[in-house]
Order: sequence, then C-alpha cells, then structure tokens
Amino acid sequence: MNETRPAPPRARIEKSRTSRFLWLIPLGAALVCAWYVSRDFLLAGPTITIYFQNVDGLQEKNSLVQYRGKQIGEVETVRLTRDRQRVAVRAKLDSAAADLAREGSVFWIVRPELKPGSVSGLGTLVSGNYINVEPGTGARTNQFTGAEKEPIEPIPALEIVVLVPKLGSLQPRSPVFYRDVQVGEVVACRLSDDAREVIIHVRIDEEYAPLVRMNSKFWNAGGIHIHLGLFSGASISAESAQTLISGGIAFATPPDYQAAATNGTEFILNDKSEEDWEKWSPAIPLHFVPEAAINKTPVPNLTPK
Amino acid sequence: MDRLMACQTCGLVQEADEPPKGSVLRCARCHFQLDHRRPNSRRRTLAFSLAALLLYFPANLYPVVTAEYQGRHSETTVLQGINSLYAHKQFFIGSLVFCTSILTPMVKILGLIFITLTLDRPGGKKARTWAYEIIRIIDPWNMLEVFLLAIGVSMVEMGEIATVHPGRGVFAFSAVVVLTLLATLSFDPRLIWDSPAEQKRHE
Repeated sequence: MNETRPAPPRARIEKSRTSRFLWLIPLGAALVCAWYVSRDFLLAGPTITIYFQNVDGLQEKNSLVQYRGKQIGEVETVRLTRDRQRVAVRAKLDSAAADLAREGSVFWIVRPELKPGSVSGLGTLVSGNYINVEPGTGARTNQFTGAEKEPIEPIPALEIVVLVPKLGSLQPRSPVFYRDVQVGEVVACRLSDDAREVIIHVRIDEEYAPLVRMNSKFWNAGGIHIHLGLFSGASISAESAQTLISGGIAFATPPDYQAAATNGTEFILNDKSEEDWEKWSPAIPLHFVPEAAINKTPVPNLTPK
Repeated sequence: MDRLMACQTCGLVQEADEPPKGSVLRCARCHFQLDHRRPNSRRRTLAFSLAALLLYFPANLYPVVTAEYQGRHSETTVLQGINSLYAHKQFFIGSLVFCTSILTPMVKILGLIFITLTLDRPGGKKARTWAYEIIRIIDPWNMLEVFLLAIGVSMVEMGEIATVHPGRGVFAFSAVVVLTLLATLSFDPRLIWDSPAEQKRHE
C-alpha cells in the first residue's frame, strides 16, 4: 500500500481584527456606569420636606407626588417630628419638576371625600392617597408646610362677601342661584372678627359677574319653603334637590340697578325673599365684564394656613 | 516549520504555518479560526472581567424589577428581593438566589481578574490553580440567575391586577451575565501552568 496521498491543504493567514477594540468593552462598561450615576445625581430633582398634621394614607417609597395629574415625584420617608406635633414627609421630585420647589407652593394630600353634593378623590380609593401641589412663585426652598385641604383655585371670578346672623345649612360648595340657574358657589364660611355674624365668601363665575350689583338682594335658598295663604292654600317650594341637603343662596337685582359689585363687596343674606324680588327682571348684558371686577389672584385669607 | 493541524469545526487536517503577530489562521475549508489555544486568552478574559466588574455595581444597586400592584408601584433590587425572601422565611430559596446572582458572579469575576493579572508572577502558581478550581466548581451555578429571574417574572405576570416591568438595573444585570459568560469562554486554563516562555506566545 503505497498510494500517494494528496498534500493536505494549507491554512490561510489573515490579519486579526478583534484585538484592537478589546479595551473598548471595559470602557463601554465604565460609560454605562457613569450614565447610571449621572442619572441619579446630576439629573435628579430636589428632595423636599413637607410637614403635615396628618399623613393618613401616605406610604413610604410608594406614594406619589402629582401635579396636574402627572407624577412628578415620590415619597421617600414619612417620619414623626421630634416634638411629635407634625409628620415630616420627604419627597424626591423629578428634575423636570424642580421648579415647583418654591416658596408659596402649596402641597396637600388628596384623599377620597364624600360630601353632600360632591364626591372627590375617588381614584385614590384604588391608587392610594397622593400629594398634590399648586405651584408658587417665590424663591427656591426645600421646606414646606402641607395644607390640610386643597387650596381654592385662583380662577377668574367675582369674590363677594355675604353676611348672615346664623350659618344654617350653608357650607363650602353650596350653590348660588340667579333665577334658579347656578351662577356661583360658596367658597368659605367663617365667623366675623367680633363673632357677631357669619361671613360667607361667595364666588360668582366670571361670566355672571355683571348680575351682581351694589343693590342686589341675597336670600337663603336652602331647605323647604312652606307658604300658607288664606286664599292660595299651602305652597311648598324648594330651590333644587341639592339645596335641600347642602343649602344655597339666591339673589336678584332690581330693575333700577346700580354699578356692578366689585371684589369684597358686602351683602346681607336675608332669611327669605320678599314678594317682589323674584319678579324683578332687569336686562343686564352678560358679555360686558368690567375688568376691575375680575379677581385674578386668590383671596389671601382664604388659603388654608 | 510546517505542521499539521485539525480544524475544530469541520475536522479538516491541514498544514498550518506559525502566524505572524496580529494575524490568525483560518481553515482552508470552512474559514473558521484555527488555533491550538483560545486566541488572546489573557487580554480578552481581563477585558470582559473588568467590564463585568464595573457593571456589577449598578446591577445590584439599581432595581431590576418594577412591580405595579393595584396602582401602587414598588421597585426591587436583587438584594431587596433576597431580603424579602428571608423575611417570608424562605431561607433556602433566599440563599439560592443570593449565591447564584450575587456571590458566584463576584467570586468568578474577581477570580478571573486575579488569575489574569498575576500570570507573570512566578510565585503564585498554586494560588492561581486554587482560584481556577473554585471558578470551575461554582461555574454551573452561575447560569441559574437568568433562570430564577425568568421564573420570578412569569409568576408575578400571572396576576391580573399586578404587572411587572424590568427596572433600570436590568440592563446592567444582564450585561454582567453575558460578560462573565464571555470572560469564562475566552479564558484558557492552560495559561495557568504555562512556562514563562510559552506564556509569551499564548497570551
């Protein structure tokens, strides 16, 4: 057996390419680490501390801070203060929301609420309570005092004051009617400085502001009115189903109406309307809105302290 | 000096010259790389191990799992996950996860770096062999981390109300898995007992 075998083929020689880029791998890893760190430390927003009286429903590392319904931060820790009078909530804001950490920003906890005439915060039943914020315009700060409830929104409206000896069933959000149409609502109720009467802050929607004149008459529209007449018999009336529970205010403007009411104008709330008030029907152009009557900023003493 | 060499891929026996520096041999038939040894073993192992070591920290410090449960969300790092397993008295599974996803990758990465960095020192041969022995023992356990993660995610995904997303750290975590794999693949244990002259040729 002496066959000649074919010569084995020869392996080819090529330039190797891989080794030159080898050290780019650890370099890339270092860059990724740097990216992680930079996202945490350079791009992170401020950590703020908010002091609340009660933080029922807030959870550490879980509850959110929201603004206009968008998540802008997270609660990190919830601690009792040293004097046990308040609870300090530390929250980390996103960098995009860093601008909200200013003096004048109001933080409050949104909870589910069931009140006559309104239900709010239903979503928190599922998602848990969260902190909402209304931004301020002051200097940068990281310390805040939390509000007990939602601050009153600074929407353009006419803010007037109605005085009454006894509050009755009126409460915030009670409706204000003009010809049975709701044109505003009660914002806040409190005692006057000498405690002799109740001051009711009323907000009239911007478009209906011209209806309120210096000589307009206000009366209590809550509850049921029973009128007994000799010839007409008994008549029972109520302004609306809602006022049966939450009370309400109605007003009318006489035909010889005076100048439009301005912010802070005081009116007396009568117990019930007089016969002719409801017959008044002056023609008041609604599209004319005097600039001065429109409140562009919230009334300072209304925002909860 | 001609010599015969068999291709590891297609088995073709062929004549192979000693390749000059910076070049590789390729099989005449299947074009696959021909080598007695894994090429560039020392530098490759070192590069992959270093990269894995760097990414090991974000992998364990950042959350790998973000869970959304009834509108509440929580982020969990690997260590927190192990912690909660212990808190639920799942000591065996907790230890298993700790060993497979925290301990073994670290030991392996450090072992490989130790071996490749100290190859030139004549004294440490015994320590290097010992380190390699440990790496070989723990190596099979290293793959389990992917497996465990997959099971964990699919288990939570079954709940209708709860959803699970990968967290920020999951990229670093998977990169560590891949890089340690590559480091082990490119490591040629024969480097350990090469004489200094052979070492020069093979590293």
